[in-house]
Order: sequence, then structure tokens, then C-alpha cells
Amino acid sequence: MIREHSPVVELGVRAASPLAIMVGVYLLFAGHNNPGGGFAAGLVFGAVVALRTVAGLQRTDLALPLIAGGVIVAGLVAAAPLLWGDLMLDQQVWTVEVPVLGKVKSGTALFFDLGVTAIVIGLVMAVLDGLGAADLAAPPSHHPDGDGDGDRETGSDPVAEVDAG
Amino acid sequence: MIWLLLVAHLAALPATVIAGKQSMRSGLAAAAVVPAITAVWAAVLLIDDRTPTTAELVWVDGLDLALRFRTDAVALMMTLLVSGIGALVFVYAIGYFSPGAKGGTRFPASLLAFSASMLGLVLADSVWTLFIFWELTSITSFLLVGHKNDDESVLAAARRALMITGAGGLVLLAGLLILADEAGTVVLSELTPVQGGGATLAAILILIGAATKSAQVPFHVWLPGAMAAPTPVSAYLHSATMVKAGVLLVAVLGSTFAEVDAWKVVGLGFGIISMLWGAVGALRHRDAKLILAWGTVSQLGLLITLLSVGSGKATFAATSILFAHALFKAALFLTVGEIDIRTGTRDIGELGGLARKMPITFAVALAGGLSMAGVPPLLGFAAKEAAIEAVLGLEGPEAGIAGFGVIGGSILTVAYTTRFLVTVFGPGPDTTVAPRRWAMTGPAVFLGSAGVVGYAAIGPVNDLIVSAATELNEKSNVYLLFRWPGLTTGLAVSAAVVGVGALLGAMMARRTKPAPKPTGATLADDGLDGVLKLARNLTAIVQHGSLPVYLATMGATATIAAIPFLFGLGTDHLILADDPVQALLAVAIVGAAAAGMFVRSRLGAALTLGAVGLGVSGMFVVHGAPDLVLTQLLVETVVVVGFVIGLGHLDRRFPRSPNTWRAVRITIAMTGGIAVMLALAAAGAGPVGEAPVADIAASSVDEGGGNNIVNVVLTDLRALDTLGEVVVLATAAVGILALARAGRPETEEAPA
Repeated sequence: MIREHSPVVELGVRAASPLAIMVGVYLLFAGHNNPGGGFAAGLVFGAVVALRTVAGLQRTDLALPLIAGGVIVAGLVAAAPLLWGDLMLDQQVWTVEVPVLGKVKSGTALFFDLGVTAIVIGLVMAVLDGLGAADLAAPPSHHPDGDGDGDRETGSDPVAEVDAG
Repeated sequence: MIWLLLVAHLAALPATVIAGKQSMRSGLAAAAVVPAITAVWAAVLLIDDRTPTTAELVWVDGLDLALRFRTDAVALMMTLLVSGIGALVFVYAIGYFSPGAKGGTRFPASLLAFSASMLGLVLADSVWTLFIFWELTSITSFLLVGHKNDDESVLAAARRALMITGAGGLVLLAGLLILADEAGTVVLSELTPVQGGGATLAAILILIGAATKSAQVPFHVWLPGAMAAPTPVSAYLHSATMVKAGVLLVAVLGSTFAEVDAWKVVGLGFGIISMLWGAVGALRHRDAKLILAWGTVSQLGLLITLLSVGSGKATFAATSILFAHALFKAALFLTVGEIDIRTGTRDIGELGGLARKMPITFAVALAGGLSMAGVPPLLGFAAKEAAIEAVLGLEGPEAGIAGFGVIGGSILTVAYTTRFLVTVFGPGPDTTVAPRRWAMTGPAVFLGSAGVVGYAAIGPVNDLIVSAATELNEKSNVYLLFRWPGLTTGLAVSAAVVGVGALLGAMMARRTKPAPKPTGATLADDGLDGVLKLARNLTAIVQHGSLPVYLATMGATATIAAIPFLFGLGTDHLILADDPVQALLAVAIVGAAAAGMFVRSRLGAALTLGAVGLGVSGMFVVHGAPDLVLTQLLVETVVVVGFVIGLGHLDRRFPRSPNTWRAVRITIAMTGGIAVMLALAAAGAGPVGEAPVADIAASSVDEGGGNNIVNVVLTDLRALDTLGEVVVLATAAVGILALARAGRPETEEAPA
């Protein structure tokens, strides 16, 4: 049923995506003093990805790079203090004067949170992939030999796959 | 400087990969640089300044987790061998591989990674550091042995080596844990002698770990199979370095376990049996490389025997042989590799007359072989004399046992050396020989002549060996290697050993019996297959694939797990609700959950679950936990979208199931839920003391620089936990991807 693409849904998702991404970015930065944080931000971004996937606007190929990147970033932030003789995961806090926003305080925890965010988005993508979102992303085609050659790299027949699942 | 060298090894890895993209040979050349520098550094320190230096990087202070390195005379001697022979082997490999060889990005980098691991191992000064690098050498050697990864038998050999040394690593870890506990320190150079039951157990476990790595009988079965590796690898890993790791460990811990009887008994058992059985194996095989491999088992047995004896003189002899063996055995492997490449065979039945056709190779093999047999004028002679003197000087029962082992083993060593030299280089079938490759000959000549030079310049060698041996056993500092010991009993015994051995070897030289079957290796493989089969059968039972049964299992387990809590259940602290809104929400949650049990349509079930989730978020709101509310709502949102996608693949309604099965499921679900609820209620009654909220709140602003305590706890105060959790998340996600893709057609994998 979801394979019948609805222009209303597509437009809605297109319009909502930038707003949701802004909310996610806000949560990522707000986390230090207010509700939010890397996990919450990752979920918002993940929800955006999920909605776009349902609307057929997005593929879920990026899961592995995101997960790997997230683990690497979090691991580097964790290990970096060792280089200058601090203990693992010891965090640095900086306070910077920014013209418009005024005094901004941030720390290495932000980068750690970025890693967490990437992993959560990757996790959502992986789950979507596991649920068979790949064939949603491709244009709907019930004829394997039909048009849409441009997106046929997946090479699988969506209908056959539903039967397999 | 230690850090610089270790980091240089790491930094050279990507450079090696890049150079290896051009060709295997440039990759090897790039990889040779850092080990060469390291060898020079070790040599300079050995000549110039032997004061131990240390380097330390504390990782987790409270757990005593740190990387610790130390450059004492033993470590420097081993570094010289590891990096020096390493650099030579890289050069040799340039000649060994044909110009168009595949795997240029893989092989040089793997070999360099092994070299770095081995360097870390010999420099390690804490049991954890030692263990980490110990395991790294197992893993990198797996990659190297399995280099020809399109050959099934090579892969089986690589896997066998990994399984045996890996299992030994686990046993070693157990032993090291007990030792660290008994001795009260993890720093190797600060270990004091231990004794008692725990120490005995630790001694046995550590010896088993060392025996797997150093290919002691009965764990030796992986070593002959590992000869499937390219010869540079065999020369480096399986003669000079990795197999010495176990010996080094026994040497380093010798003084710690000096008062533990089991250390000596088990060590002598491994050593003597390996020494004799290894030599017998070398006499039975026809493949020149296998002869050397079995000879290595025998020589390592000799080293373990001498170190287990533990007297000052025996430790001194072991150190000398350790040094001499690395040189002559690597040289011998290099000559066999050259013969293999230039004649196309390693079967001693097909080789012959190479003394005339490959004179330089013959000279190197002769120098290496005679050094191995213990014949002057070579370093091996001086070292072997020290060993024989050491066992002749023993008293009591161990004199007989060790004497029998060392002298018997030496006779057999001379025998297989003679057989090797006579059959390969003596008269025999006419072998066609390809032109010389200098990159191969050069390193072999260097290592072969090292035995002669070491004998001539015995003064500096003595200096090195004595300081290394004294580091291991302070009673070793009164001994010296002699060029010519004079007409002693030891010399007479040596002469008899060489005479009898040479005769035996000459008699067996043209033995035409086929090589024995690798029974031990087959047994090891069968054992591994058995474990895998058991695992498959067990998995088939446990992972039956029925989602309802999984859920029922979880529900039933939760019920059973909750039972112990029920005894702590009291009514006095239970409050029905501290806010009327809570009561309302509770009714809604329970109602939604109950409805979920009876809904027939899948979408309806998803909606009831969503209602439960929203109700719980509402609870969080009432309790004033905005972070939880936010997270819960976001999770619910994502889950709804997930349901939309997932339900698209399924029927609208649940399949009908028999009423009894349905009743069973409802019962399990309800008892599970009620049991968990009661358990939570009981858990709330336990005495908890003052909640540390105030402390955490204060430190979150001071240390974490944030006012949101929950997030500061997550990203700073308890960040290690978070790191662990996100790694679990990432692992789960990768697992989901793998599972999802495994069920799809092959072509689907392209986008990844």
C-alpha cells in the first residue's frame, strides 16, 4: 500500500525535513544545559531519514559509513586526552565569544555527542534497511523489465523480495 | 624514543599500503625502513648505554591499565633480533616475490604490522601490555600464514595456527591474571618470587600458553602446517621471532616462579619431549622446509628445557642459544626459500648437487647448519658447549633427565642437520637451477656469516649475552662463552654427540620412506570441526526462528527472574499515586496494553503500543524528567515510521492461531508483566542510602561544564559507559545490516 506514492506525503515530508533538521541541530547543542543531546538529535535525524524513506526520497545506503564514522569519532574523542597526558575521556571545555549568539560554552563532549548522533542515525537506517526499505527508495515498478533503468542497480525485484520476507 | 619507534611503525603502515599499490616490491622496500632504524637504535643502545629506560602511558588509572615498556638488555637483544632480521627479511622478500606478485597492499603491511607487534611484545613491561602484543602477533601471523588465500589447505593451516595460539592466549591470560593477583603487581620488572597453590596454577597456565606459542609438543601441530606461508614469513615468524615469544616469557618469569616446583616439572616435560619428538620429526620429513620447522620445535624444546632447569649456567646457555638460533635458523630458512624459488622444489628426494650449482647458498647453509649442529668455528658451537656444560653441572634427578634430553636431542639435531645438508647439497638427482637473485642471497649471506663473525668476535657477544642473562637470572653473571673450552668433559661429550649424530644422519640421508601423515594436525582440525558442528546443532535448537516462542521465552524468563524480588515486597512504602494524573495515565497505559492483547489487526496492535508509549511519556512529564520524555517521544515517532514500512510487507491482520496457544501467550505476557511490576515495586523498598544527586549536580557544573545533569553524566562523568553503549548500538546495527542483506540476492550487495 505504501508503494503507491502520494504527492501530498512527498510534499509534506519535503517541507518538514528542513524544520526537523533544525530541531535536531538545536537539540544537539542544547543538550548540555537543556533537554536534548546527541541521542535525541540522532533520533530526530533518524526520524527525518525514516520519513524520507517512506516517501521514496532517500536510500539507506549510508548506514555503514555513518556507524563506522560515529564509532571512530567517539573513540578518537575518548582516546585523544591520552595524547596530552590526561585520562581517557577527560573533557576540555572552551568558552568562546560569538558575535550574534554572545558567550558560547562548549567542550569536547560535543564531538563525542556528534559520534553518538551518527551512530543513532546509522542504526535507524540499518533497521529501515532490515525492514526492506531499499525497495521503497526505488521508483515503484512491478515490472522488472520495465522502465527506471537508472535506478536498477539494486537489481532485485521488489515483489519477489516481499514474498521472501 | 620507544614511543617514537612504535608510532613510526604505525605511521609506516599506510605508507607501505600506498607503496604496495605500485607493486609488491616497492611495498616491501617501504616497509623495511622502520625496522632497520629500530635495529640500529637497539644496537647503539646495546653498545653504548645499557641502562634500562621505561615508557609508560596510563590508560585507566584505577584499574592499573597502562601501556608499559622497558629497554633492558634482554629487551634490546630481542629488539635487535626482531627488527634486524625483520629488515633483512623485507629485503629478502623483494627477491622472493616475482615482480608481478599480487597482494602488494596486503603482504608488506601485514608483515610490518607483525614486526610492530613483536617489537611491542619484547619491550613490554606489564603483563597487560605483553598480553595485548602477544595476541596481536597471533592475529598478524594468521594473516601472513594465510597469504595465499585462494588455497583451501593454506587457509586450514592458518586457521589451525590461529586457533591453537589463540586458545593458548586465553590460557595465558588466565595465568597472568592469577600471577598479577599473587604478586600484587602487573609490572614485569617488579615481580617478586611467588609460591603456593595460586602460583602453581599460574605457572602451569602460563607454561601452557607459552607452549602453544613456542610450538611445544603436543601443541606443535600448527607449526608444520604454518609452513604453507611464504618462506620470508617462515624465516621471520617461525624461526627467529614469534615462536620465541613463549621462550621469552618463560625466561622473563623464570625468577618469579623459581620456587614453584610445577614450573620446573611442567617446563622440563614440555621441553624434553619437544626436543626429542621435534628432532625425530625432522628426520622423518622430506620437505626441506618441514625439516627446518620440526628442527625449530626441537630447538625451542631445548630452550624451554634449559630455562626450566633455572640454574645460572642453564639460563646463560639458553640466552646464548636463543641468540645463535635466531641467526642460524633464519639463515637456513632463507636458503631453503632461495632453493625453492630457483629449483621449483623443496623435496630432498628431488634435490641434489646444489653445492656446485649454488655455491653461495651452500656456504650459507653450511655455516647455518654447522652452527645448529654445534660445530666450531661457529657461534652455535660456543652456545651448545655452554648448554652441555650446564647440564653436566647439574645434580640430583634433574641431572639425569635434563642430561638425557639435551644430549639425546643434540645427537638427533646433528643427525637431521647432516641429512639436510647431504641430501640437498650432496650428490643426487641433477636439479636445474634458475639464475641468482641478489635480494635473496644478500640477507642470507649476512645472517649466515653472523654466526662466523659472532664466533670470531666472541668478546662483544659475551658482553651482550652476559648482561641479558644476568637480567633474567642474577646468578648468570659469572659465565662466559669460549671459542675453545680446552679439553674438558664437555668437549668430549660434544665430540661424541657430533660423531654419533653425523653417522646417524648419513645413514638416514637417502631414506626413501614417504613423509609421515600429519596426524596431529588432522586431529586438531577434526576437533575444530566438531566444535563448529556442535555450535551449529546447538544454534539450530536455541535459535529456532519462531518469534512467538522467542517472546514467550523472554516473558517466562522475566517471570522467573522476578521471583527472588518478591520476598522483599512490603506494602508500607507503596503509594497508589502521588498525583491524580498518574492514576489516569496508569489506567490508560494498562488499558492500551490490555487492548493490544485482543486486537486482530496489525495496525491496531501498533497503535496500542504507541498509546502505551505515549502514556509512559506522560508519566515522565508528571515526574519532571524532560530528557526521558523527549527521548521516549522520539523513539515512539521513529518506531511508528518503522511500523509503516514493516507493515507494508505483511497482511493487515494477524494469522489466526488455535485458542489454546493464544491463551498460553496471553498468560505468559500477563504473568511476565505483573512479575516485573511487582519486582520493581519490591526493588523500591530496598535500603539505598542518600541519593548522590547533590554531588553529581555539583560536579556536572564544575567538571562537565553543563547544567543538564543527565547529559553531563552521559557524556562526561560516565562517558566510558556511554562509549561502551554506543559501540553496542553500532555492533547491533551492523548485525542488522548483515542479517538483512544475508537474506537477499547477491546482486543486492553492490551498493554497500
